[in-house]
Amino acid sequence: MFKAITFILLLIAAPISQSMTNEDRAKELIRKMDDMYRSTASRATMTMRMQTPNYDRSMTMESVTIGEDQMLIRILAPKKERGIATLKIDKEMWNYFPKINKTIKVPPSMMMGSWMGSDFTNDDLVKESSLVEDYSLVVQEDADYYEITLTPKIQTVTVWGKIVVKINKIDNTPAEQAFFDDKGRKVRVMSYKEPKQFGNVTLPSVLEMIPLNKVGHRTLITYDKLELNAEDVDKKLFTMRSLKQRLR
Amino acid sequence: MLLAKLAFRNIFRQRRRSLLTGLSMGGGYLLLAFTLSLSKGSFNNLIDIFTHDHTGHVQIHKGNYVDRPGIQKTLLRTSGIEKILDNEGAVISWAPRIYGVGLGYGGEKSAPLSIVGIDPKLEKNTTTISEKIHQGDYFGSEINADGYFSAMIGYGVADMLKLAIGDEIVLISSGVDGSIANDIYIVQAMVGNRTSYDKMNVYLPLNAAQDFFSMVNKVHEYAVITAHSTDARELARSLSAAIDNTEVTVSPWQEVEETFYKSMKADQEGQKVTMGIVVFLVCIGVLNTVLMSVLERTREFGVMLAVGTNRFTVMSMIILETAALGILSCLGGFILSVPLIYWFTTVGITMPQAMDFGGIIYDTMKGEMNLTVFALPAVIIVGSAALVSLLPGIRAAQITPLDALSDR
Repeated sequence: MFKAITFILLLIAAPISQSMTNEDRAKELIRKMDDMYRSTASRATMTMRMQTPNYDRSMTMESVTIGEDQMLIRILAPKKERGIATLKIDKEMWNYFPKINKTIKVPPSMMMGSWMGSDFTNDDLVKESSLVEDYSLVVQEDADYYEITLTPKIQTVTVWGKIVVKINKIDNTPAEQAFFDDKGRKVRVMSYKEPKQFGNVTLPSVLEMIPLNKVGHRTLITYDKLELNAEDVDKKLFTMRSLKQRLR
Repeated sequence: MLLAKLAFRNIFRQRRRSLLTGLSMGGGYLLLAFTLSLSKGSFNNLIDIFTHDHTGHVQIHKGNYVDRPGIQKTLLRTSGIEKILDNEGAVISWAPRIYGVGLGYGGEKSAPLSIVGIDPKLEKNTTTISEKIHQGDYFGSEINADGYFSAMIGYGVADMLKLAIGDEIVLISSGVDGSIANDIYIVQAMVGNRTSYDKMNVYLPLNAAQDFFSMVNKVHEYAVITAHSTDARELARSLSAAIDNTEVTVSPWQEVEETFYKSMKADQEGQKVTMGIVVFLVCIGVLNTVLMSVLERTREFGVMLAVGTNRFTVMSMIILETAALGILSCLGGFILSVPLIYWFTTVGITMPQAMDFGGIIYDTMKGEMNLTVFALPAVIIVGSAALVSLLPGIRAAQITPLDALSDR
């Protein structure tokens, strides 16, 4: 307990006692990392594999995004779930189920719920809080990684007590994000793996999410295709109308 | 033999007093037999209603499903359990089931629901679900012309989602393989009422539910009905032996519905207190009259002792007198109680306020007629009367002939 308090005090004190440049540098690193993915518009095909002690299944999906704020994901396979889609605009999110022809807005209470049965939460997609604006950042570095510790500011609404982001020093690509609860326990870890060349950038092609409180659970998202700065993606795609578009 | 003769003669010597004692014992017998019959009758009646409503007499699950239900704990329909159920003579009927939870939508409203998959035919043979329908018709497992399965919904579901017969109900959940389950069903019937335990249930045909939860050929539960609820434990044992699989658990209803069973047990214990009070009152009456007669007959006992009768014989005579009177009274009580209990068992008392068990109306209290109902009160009455007369008996045996005869 004492350790935790000292730690928190240190974190609070850190931005004040240390030069402001530490926080600024951390912000800079996070921004750089985000920008790699952000691009103006992207189009991707990915495979999500969900592993649990009871089942192991995969879904393929396609996604289009503009910036961080607009995103449309649609499931292509398996057949049972084909056509189910998720639309995200700013901080709101809707799911569309073609079989029942129903659009359901994800309510705030469901933000921490599982997205499409995976270990990712709806909040992971919506990212209601901005890492740069809603958290206090402290950066540390070793030979290979920058390690940025993010603690939520007092007014920030989040379930995480702390997030630790690891960034590769060589190319500024993300390596790992660890999420801690408010008691300081590590709850889940997201790793970025298998860097691959997409167009003219190299990015990790596999996202692995492991919830530490659920034994044997793991979700892998593999980017099969990723087109950054896709020109044919425009704002018109991110509407309720296109959400309800049926797949043939 | 002489003793018995004496005892009988004494009973008829003081007819009025004997009649009074006999009345109290006979009345006690009648009351006891009646209470016992009612207690057993309503107990069995309630259990019957309860087990036939949903639980069945024996249930079969995978592992510890009863204590910790989980959608993954499934039984394969082809695993041979159904064949064993078909071949077991004590099994009257059985029904497979699937349980899940999900979100239901009707128009703009939504509510969390329990989704239960049942085989329309087998379930109808096993439980009283088809009798609980208060609107619409019992469903079948066919798909309709538009490609939708039908569903039956509980009162609460209809109320919360504002659904009527023929409306669409949308269900969303996740399958046993983690897949997203979503589909539309047509409301075909409404089951139960506002007090039903299953008011938030949606019943789907088994094949539709298997499809929905991606559990082809799998079920969570088998409910089995046998002739009598008391046979459940024995049937569970023999089925368990026949299935012979450590992963499969066979439980009698007493284990599945432990709380219900325990409360019923407690209820019966409470009945014993009532019966104890009746016995106590009878005993006081008997003690009173026997003690009186002993006091009145002090001289008589004095003479008996004076002419050389054994003290023990005097005591035995008094006990024998009481016991004989008890047997006679019980006989009288029996003759009176047979038509009464027979009527009570066949016709019963219609309660002014009917009790409702989840849509099944329980409005007549009925008794039960068997050997225990008649024999047990007789044993209790005669036994306790004999026991009580021990005290006056000892008293009579201790009389000093001289004191008794000189009226001191």
